[in-house]
Amino acid sequence: MLGDWASYLIYVVVAAAIAGSLLAGSFTWSALFHKDLRQGRQKRRVFESGVSPGEFSPGNFSINYFLTAMLFIVFDIEIVFLYPIAVNLKMLGAFGFAELVVFVAILAVGYVYVWRKGALEWH
Amino acid sequence: MVDGVILTIVKSVILASVLMGFFALMTLIERKLIGRFQARYGPNRVGPYGLMQPIADLGKMLQKENVVPEGAHRKLYLAAPFIAMVCAISAFGLIPFGNVATIPGTDWTIHLYIANTSVSLLVVAAIGSLGFYGLMIGGWASSSKYALLGGMRSIAQLISYEVAFTLAVIGVIMQASSLSFITIANAQDHLWYFIPQILGFLVFFVAAVAESNRPPFDLTEADGEVVAGYHTEYGGMRYAMFAAAEFINAITLSALGAVLFFGGPSGPILPGPIWMLLKIGGFLFVLIWIRATLPRVRFDQLMKLGWKVLLPVATLNLLLTAAVVVYG
Repeated sequence: MLGDWASYLIYVVVAAAIAGSLLAGSFTWSALFHKDLRQGRQKRRVFESGVSPGEFSPGNFSINYFLTAMLFIVFDIEIVFLYPIAVNLKMLGAFGFAELVVFVAILAVGYVYVWRKGALEWH
Repeated sequence: MVDGVILTIVKSVILASVLMGFFALMTLIERKLIGRFQARYGPNRVGPYGLMQPIADLGKMLQKENVVPEGAHRKLYLAAPFIAMVCAISAFGLIPFGNVATIPGTDWTIHLYIANTSVSLLVVAAIGSLGFYGLMIGGWASSSKYALLGGMRSIAQLISYEVAFTLAVIGVIMQASSLSFITIANAQDHLWYFIPQILGFLVFFVAAVAESNRPPFDLTEADGEVVAGYHTEYGGMRYAMFAAAEFINAITLSALGAVLFFGGPSGPILPGPIWMLLKIGGFLFVLIWIRATLPRVRFDQLMKLGWKVLLPVATLNLLLTAAVVVYG
């Protein structure tokens, strides 16, 4: 008999084996049949529609992505706190409901602030 | 406690094979249906009714040359599709296909799930979210501006809708008082949660379409804007792995929808696994139908919908459900 997590781990190993075998299969095929293909710089160029791709600088992107990521952290942590109370709500009864309403009210204040500040807009 | 070691290995292999087979079949059905929606036949040349098309596709993808683009981070570039696919297949592992079954003719009993933990729902959400790394790493490591933009976009979209998604299922958790799929499915014996949780279900469904990157929310691969998004520089088997990961995510989200809102494996006459596959197939059909019907939204519209509509509606549903659970 196995525990639940050990069983799940076995499944994850099977999943990794499937993905790994696909990757390994394509490499094996390449090693066997693609030896004679010509290698060249043009083949390895990144995609650009008809002109030179130019310099690649991964440093520059819109501030909106940062804002979204920060909002995500705030709201997702709030939700993580909501999960335990959701599981136990029937047991906690009216006390749990009051706690929940206060919690969501505080969250709502932050949400309204973020909305009024325009952080939810995509510029 | 579940089954023994060998039985668990056999079950894992069977479940993963069923998932991959179901995925292959659904890609064919999707192309067939899209064809029909557009008044054409869809693939019908390879084998009877085009049934061999997925195998032909796999063979074609396998034969493609491995090209790593100039300037790419080789290890991360190769790891990205692997991460995406392992996470996608793994997330499916906790979905139950029934409870305990006896093999006909013997007195062997097996569990029709790999594992039943008290936090299954959280684990599926967490493992599914780990798959986002595959997209982001793939986009970043390709050293292509379209891939980078596509990767950034997909992360922004996925995490925005992750909020609505996790918030929408809290109503179900409150009613079932559990995160275990078996308990949630059993709690729906009398009434599927789809009816009392209609608001939560609508938010869940919209978020699930966005989470699985399917039209009308396939902004990450909007061809007119970012070519093909994070997998612009991927070809052959690596591209196939990204595509598989994306479709398997759609299957997992459909399975979640079936378990959380449509009673999971329960149903009359037919056995549990068949009902599960039928319910998942039903969800996927609606996804394909939507893909054939609706045009793609703009990125700012997408963000607006996620943050300004789904989030408040999901919170409202949460409070209403809490009030009904406690005082109803």
